[in-house]
Amino acid sequence: MVTRDVKILNEAGLHARPSSELVKLASSFESEFFIEMYGYRINGKSILGIMTLAAEEGAEMTLIVDGPDEEEALEAISNLIDNKFKTS
Amino acid sequence: MNKSIKETEKTVRLTGNPASGGIGMGPAWIMPESKASVKPEKIDKSKAESELDRVQKAVGDVLDGFEKLKSGSEGDEINQILDAQIEVLKDPQLMEEIRSKIIEKYFGPSYAIFESFNKYIELLDGTNAEWAKERMVDIVSIRDELMQTLQSRNYDMLVEKSSIVFADEISATDLIKLSSMDISGIVMHKGGLTSHAVILAQSLDLPCVVGVDWQRVKVQQKAPVLLDGDSGEIFIHPSEEKRENFIERQQLHKEKKSKVLEWAEKPAETNCGSSFTIRANIEFENELARLKTHGAKGIGLLRTESCLFQSTNFDVEAQMKFYRTVVEKADGESVTIRLFDAGGDKLLEDHGNESNPFLGWRGIRMLLDKPEMLHHQIEAILRISGEFPGQLKLMVPMVSRIEEIESVHQTVENVKQTLKEKGISFDDDLPIGIMIEVPGIALMASEAAEIVDFFSIGTNDLTQYTLAVDRGNEHISGLYTSTHPAVWRLIKMVKEGADTQGIPVSVCGEMAARPELAACFLGMGINEISMTTNSIPSVKSVLCRSSLREMQKLAEHVLGSTHVKKADELLKEWLHEKTESLNR
Repeated sequence: MVTRDVKILNEAGLHARPSSELVKLASSFESEFFIEMYGYRINGKSILGIMTLAAEEGAEMTLIVDGPDEEEALEAISNLIDNKFKTS
Repeated sequence: MNKSIKETEKTVRLTGNPASGGIGMGPAWIMPESKASVKPEKIDKSKAESELDRVQKAVGDVLDGFEKLKSGSEGDEINQILDAQIEVLKDPQLMEEIRSKIIEKYFGPSYAIFESFNKYIELLDGTNAEWAKERMVDIVSIRDELMQTLQSRNYDMLVEKSSIVFADEISATDLIKLSSMDISGIVMHKGGLTSHAVILAQSLDLPCVVGVDWQRVKVQQKAPVLLDGDSGEIFIHPSEEKRENFIERQQLHKEKKSKVLEWAEKPAETNCGSSFTIRANIEFENELARLKTHGAKGIGLLRTESCLFQSTNFDVEAQMKFYRTVVEKADGESVTIRLFDAGGDKLLEDHGNESNPFLGWRGIRMLLDKPEMLHHQIEAILRISGEFPGQLKLMVPMVSRIEEIESVHQTVENVKQTLKEKGISFDDDLPIGIMIEVPGIALMASEAAEIVDFFSIGTNDLTQYTLAVDRGNEHISGLYTSTHPAVWRLIKMVKEGADTQGIPVSVCGEMAARPELAACFLGMGINEISMTTNSIPSVKSVLCRSSLREMQKLAEHVLGSTHVKKADELLKEWLHEKTESLNR
């Protein structure tokens, strides 16, 4: 299991579109993925779960990835968040 | 053949906020409301697996439906919305919750779906994020669709081509689906002007009116409906004449639409180089985004009713917040705030029943009877004027006598005195103007001009008061014609009265939103007009391509006509020739 603390940087926060990007990316990995925020843990592959976090700009959260491709997954997911969900 | 039947159906006219422009015509289709609750029915243990299979099949069917819509529709926006819906249906957490409710707790599939979705819907409702509330509607719609599919009930087949959809509120997904069925317009009770559905309706070019209390009048399925997305009017069981008029306008709208938006950015100048000003009529914060895209220069009429209706005690701070937001978005251009204009068709709770509200206790009449409310509003406006000196104007509605203006001046002076004592800054030169909508004050224009800084003509009320025609009364709606020469002559008198003192005159009624009438105003020397943002590009495109000389000639002819019909024809012909020559 690997974890990392990240911060939401995009202005609009983790709203519908970024949530959707996050889920798409996370689902492409085999590992399980969770997000912890305010002591609350949600399944990072669940769009509804992520949306209910309603994380705004500046929100801090812990990413937890567990599985065969955990290193790679954590790296990719952190990158997406750090790049403000711009996929290119 | 059906004439006698048609005539027995009384025309019903409804109004709301114009949200997406254009003309819609077709049979009414009432959208079924989503369920408020589902009973927690239990199933037999032996059936759990097969019920789960049914749910999974329904999910697959709904997914297929979304995928199909996706390939068939153009545009990023639409595909993004559909993608988000698809992800909800693929949500592993949600599906696990539905599964466990059926397999472990033996709940019926409908209840399992309903409850599992609702947990998330409630959580989203609990957040403060605006986007989350928007998404809620979409998630409710997937929930309902899944339940409908499970019961093999689908409304797809029932929607006739070119239907006008009546809904309480529509989700983006439903809107995409309905648009693929060739509906011709949408009427919603709820939904803001920036709701997802409205933005989509605009990009899909579907006429849409929101904030319509249509449930009040019992619209029948398949009743013939006309919808005007530019004015916010809806006619159920319209007259033949009205229908023909709409067909004509629909044609015109199609031709113009594509060309006009590009005019928003161009300078507001006639083709002979004479400049004019088009401002926006604004009521809600979420309309402000359109100031820029539609080419408005500031706000010629800021309505304050919705802001004041929301707060019960009319508190100064809440008003200031609203005004500040608006002025900030006006990009340094002027903002004219109209004092609270309740009454008429917009009622305050303690208003009671008046037999004739349009001739009753409204506008400044009511405000002068409620000194505290007037005081608060003027205080809020003055204080904001201190933050944006030179940018604000104050406008008094429903003035019918000079004394009323004097009373307002007195209150303004009193408030200024109090603010001075408290050391709060304000714009001491805040211009104070009046709405000209009562013929009685129009006839006193030169005297009124001596004591105010500007006039703004409210053409809707001026027309109904001048012609003694109740706008809402269908029996005489044909007599409500703003193009009546008497209305034009009265407006000319007002302009002349203003000129004696050199004060500016603008027009902020619906008349200004019709290009040919706007041209007539310019021809009369009134070169500031204000209208709903939706109408600005088309008006501007015509004015920019006309010369002052031809508009003066038009005004001269219209003012000189004896018959309403003649004035109408002159205007219609002018616009027709104009559009013909422009299309050539």
